[in-house]
Amino acid sequence: MATRVLSQKEQDIQMMLAAAVHLGARNCDFQMERYVYKRRNDGVHIINLGKTWEKLQLAARVIVAIENPQDIIVQSARPYGQRAVLKFAQYTGAHPIAGRHTPGTFTNQLQTSFSEPRLLILTDPRTDHQPIKESALGNIPTISFCDTDSPMRYVDIGIPANNKGKHSIGCLFWLLARMVLQMRGTIPLGRKWEVMVDLFFYRDPEEAKEQAEEEAPVAPDFGAVPDYGAMVPNDQWTTEQWMPEVGAAPAAVPPVAGVEWTAGQG
Amino acid sequence: MAERGGGDRGGFGRGFGRGFGRGRGRGDRGRGRRGGGRRDEEEKWVPVTKLGRLVKEGKITSLEQIYLHSLPVKEHQIIDTLLGGRLKDEVMKIMPVQKQTRAGQRTRFKAFVVVGDTDGHVGLGVKCAKEVATAIRGAIILAKLSVIPVRRGYWGNKIGKPHTVPCKVTGKCGSVTVRMVPAPRGAGIVAARVPKKVLQFAGIEDVFTSSRGSTKTLGNFVKATFDCLMKTYGFLTPDFWMETRFSKSPFQEYTDLLAKPTKAILLENTEVVEA
Repeated sequence: MATRVLSQKEQDIQMMLAAAVHLGARNCDFQMERYVYKRRNDGVHIINLGKTWEKLQLAARVIVAIENPQDIIVQSARPYGQRAVLKFAQYTGAHPIAGRHTPGTFTNQLQTSFSEPRLLILTDPRTDHQPIKESALGNIPTISFCDTDSPMRYVDIGIPANNKGKHSIGCLFWLLARMVLQMRGTIPLGRKWEVMVDLFFYRDPEEAKEQAEEEAPVAPDFGAVPDYGAMVPNDQWTTEQWMPEVGAAPAAVPPVAGVEWTAGQG
Repeated sequence: MAERGGGDRGGFGRGFGRGFGRGRGRGDRGRGRRGGGRRDEEEKWVPVTKLGRLVKEGKITSLEQIYLHSLPVKEHQIIDTLLGGRLKDEVMKIMPVQKQTRAGQRTRFKAFVVVGDTDGHVGLGVKCAKEVATAIRGAIILAKLSVIPVRRGYWGNKIGKPHTVPCKVTGKCGSVTVRMVPAPRGAGIVAARVPKKVLQFAGIEDVFTSSRGSTKTLGNFVKATFDCLMKTYGFLTPDFWMETRFSKSPFQEYTDLLAKPTKAILLENTEVVEA
């Protein structure tokens, strides 16, 4: 819409709009009313993204204030949030829990998985209600992405957002991670982050398998030598890929068998 | 150790004297076996919780630091380290409870133990177990875990040390309500046998009490006085009107110390030996 250069905040909000972060649920919890702009004719509540951005900043400040990032636990029971949680933890140094939260991880000191985090980040207070209950017993502050119909009990910082769509959750975790890294100074402000948002999106298992199959025959073209023996099975190499690869491969050693090929190159 | 033995024997005598012969044999056997090989295990405490580690290192020196940040205490050795020798315990009652099975009744023993340092800290533990000694041991541990600070104040004239409750407080458990009223010095603890014991452990010297409900049920009676003592620090008096000056939680202050792994190092050593 705007023809001038957009500020960082405006660019982020544009991305959030594309990811449908602003679309809430048809019900609205009374504590989330302050973040809702309006209710559409079809019943969907529209979340004020400016407030979402501010809450993200607040959450990022809290995350940065924890000296040891390993003491932060990011959690998602829902499949849509699991990849995002793992990537977030990878880039910020937090500890991810994807999948089922074993009851007692924060309260039962006899459990092997017992941990006492300083901070808890969740994707949905409704599905992740068990960690919320336990953190209340253990003096653990909780940050969570809350939809318009999410219960806010024991959630200390609620970030109003759509936590139902996979693009939305991915986008939010990407933004939060980028904000944390910018505040820590790892990434300079203003510049684009090389990590793509798509990395945080949930991939369906079929989608993931298709992509892996696409990558397998494509990889030898790149000329990455150590990969040859590992990635492609000997039969495929000698019968199909061999002829077109003669030109591409730098060495002129004629292969007798796949094994010798790797021995010569590796 | 010696105190505990003495306290137990006193409790035993009282509890058993009330007419219950079956468990006496079991209890005696338990008592006899105790004392010898126990020392070793108790020395080697490996803390599991963050708070435990801080207490073992000596970074936390008083219970008040724990109370200030409302940190849950999960290991009784924490209390042992902080209150140590000053803590005395007393078995209030051993109550046999039964459950019906097709092969007769299954009896278990419920032990009520009060723990305290007669200077502002009390704890109450209730544990049920198949043997009396196990129940008492478990109850002592639970009592230590539940140690609470007791606020003392003056009746009039703030001379000397606080000796009575700061204000009228009341506690309730089940049908039993216990009401504590500040008393002038020299009045002593004016209460029934059961709450008197608890109040002595708390370090309250003078108090008037009044109770209501079925005080025969010792469990509820003792829990009601404990609840009453808990409320002494919950009562907002003008001295608390000043704004709180927040201090860093010990987990934040000692985050570097806590970040150091303990188990990982042990595992590494064993792996090296095996390889």
